Amino acid sequence: MAPLIEFRNVYKIYQMGDTQVRAADGISMKIDQGEFVAIVGQSGSGKSTCMNIIGCLDVPTHGQYLLKGQDVGQMKDDQLADIRNKTLGFIFQQYNLLPKLNLLENVEVSLMYAGAPKRQRAARARQVLERVGLGDKLKHKPSQLSGGQQQRVSIARALAGAPSVILADEPTGALDSRTGRDVLGLLQELHNEGNTIVLITHDNSIARQAQRIIRLEDGKVVYDGPADGNQAVVNPEEAAL
Amino acid sequence: MNVTQSLRMAIKSILSNKIRSVLTMLGIIIGVAAVIVIVGLGNGMQVYMRETFDSMGVNLIGVQTWSPGDTRTVSEEDMYQLAEEHPDLLSMVSPMVSLGGAKVGNEFLSSAQVTGVSEDYAKINRDEVEQGRYLQYVDILRRSNVCVVGSYINDTYFAGDGLGKTVKVMGAPFSIVGVMKQKGDGTEHSPDNSIFMPYTVAGKLAGQGNFGMYYFSAASEDAAIPATNVIRAKLLEIYGDESYFYVQSATEMMDQLNAMMNVTVAILTAIAAISLVVGGIGIMNIMLVSVTERTREIGIRKALGAKRRHIMMQFIIEAGATSAIGGLLGIAMGYGLSAVASAMIAAGLQQEMSVVPTMNSVLTAFGISAGIGIFFGYLPARKAARLNPIDALRYD
Repeated sequence: MAPLIEFRNVYKIYQMGDTQVRAADGISMKIDQGEFVAIVGQSGSGKSTCMNIIGCLDVPTHGQYLLKGQDVGQMKDDQLADIRNKTLGFIFQQYNLLPKLNLLENVEVSLMYAGAPKRQRAARARQVLERVGLGDKLKHKPSQLSGGQQQRVSIARALAGAPSVILADEPTGALDSRTGRDVLGLLQELHNEGNTIVLITHDNSIARQAQRIIRLEDGKVVYDGPADGNQAVVNPEEAAL
Repeated sequence: MNVTQSLRMAIKSILSNKIRSVLTMLGIIIGVAAVIVIVGLGNGMQVYMRETFDSMGVNLIGVQTWSPGDTRTVSEEDMYQLAEEHPDLLSMVSPMVSLGGAKVGNEFLSSAQVTGVSEDYAKINRDEVEQGRYLQYVDILRRSNVCVVGSYINDTYFAGDGLGKTVKVMGAPFSIVGVMKQKGDGTEHSPDNSIFMPYTVAGKLAGQGNFGMYYFSAASEDAAIPATNVIRAKLLEIYGDESYFYVQSATEMMDQLNAMMNVTVAILTAIAAISLVVGGIGIMNIMLVSVTERTREIGIRKALGAKRRHIMMQFIIEAGATSAIGGLLGIAMGYGLSAVASAMIAAGLQQEMSVVPTMNSVLTAFGISAGIGIFFGYLPARKAARLNPIDALRYD
């Protein structure tokens, strides 16, 4: 079976004035269905670029990105939107909930763009909100919730469309460590239920929660293996000491 | 994701920012209200004019001739014959002879209009008899010294009991056989201060064998214009020159006035419509601000799978809804101002003219205002739809 996500020598090159910035400098990797992978790296390592490409928010300059065997690089805006809608679920550091909508409506947004009928949308949104433990706050506005709760809403929203991949970008970055652990625990559970999760983080201890770590430096993969592997969290600076 | 959902989203967004929304709508509100009031005013003027013409008879055709000083002349027989030849166009004729010098007892009726007419004149001019009778053919034929007076004369000089009494005109006594129903406002300077007598008698008193002035009644409103043409042709045949006569039909006059008024209303409407355009630009401006403010929302929506057309529709419908609501408020305001204008005209000009908004202008104003929103919302919506999701998501 083809891998769910496959990077074939992916480059992302930005022209900044006279200099070229290689945010992704020939990345190749594969992620299979049902994996829990952490992509870890310092800022500037290219992990955000990687996340944007996996999330179909951006396309590679060179190389191929195959999602479920399809070459995303050749797709138009609206096709990418369709993939984001049906195949991907996003969890952002800043939650990115729509402040004027209540929780139910927030979770319904992607289902609405998918064209699901109203009744079905509401039922599904209620189901996933209950799954993340917010079934009693359906009509609340995001501003009435704590950060941890807001992040749960954002997880519910990511789950709503039953995506093939859940893409979490620093999901604990704005949370205190205890709430962060809860959120990670929830992601673990979702993984155990069979979801594929790609976690982007700069934090080694958080990356350790995944099964597998892909470590990036300067746009290149420097480690790809089990989370408990020897090289997994070794920081070159720390190693040099 | 359909129009209903977008509309609900738009209404929500408009309501969440009430003051800004109302200010944005203001241009549209004023523009629509102005258009409705102006068109209503024009419409009211038309109705008023129509009523005025109706009261004097839209079928009325007036003929005035002047003697060239030779044998060319028009006789009453010519005019009566013309009516007989064209029964489909002309139904009634009355020669008109104006006299002065009416007296009741020793009191001189200086402002009374004394006119010699035929027995058909009351019908031509839509006058009605209240007491007694009108002039009859036999009075004309026998040159009877009888007359019919207006309500003002009856009330002022005879205390409402003038029937059978006498009025003197140029020394000759005339017995009052009828009193006309009040037609104007019953004052001295109204059609109610008049005396009608047989034209044959009046002609004799005036020393005229022929009459310079005639009133015709066209057989129908549609016949008014062809009837006018027939009369002109006949007079041209007699005089051979258009400068010796003048034929004017009420319908023709009304058409001319209407045409003039339509032009005026069209110009005023165009001026009011400028405000609609300005209002549209206001909406575009606010929508552009709104797109910038909501860049992050747009980014989130795009990340969640919104296509360009979804974002586009959201903003266009929001702009359209804003101006459509503005349009509705403008219509309400237009109706309010129309009522105020009607009251002011009634109080200030003593005229029963009401400003009547037409259903057409209301529907057009609403349609145009919604259209303006969509038109001016297009540019901001396109800007929103084309935002790059990564940049939009990072936007603070």
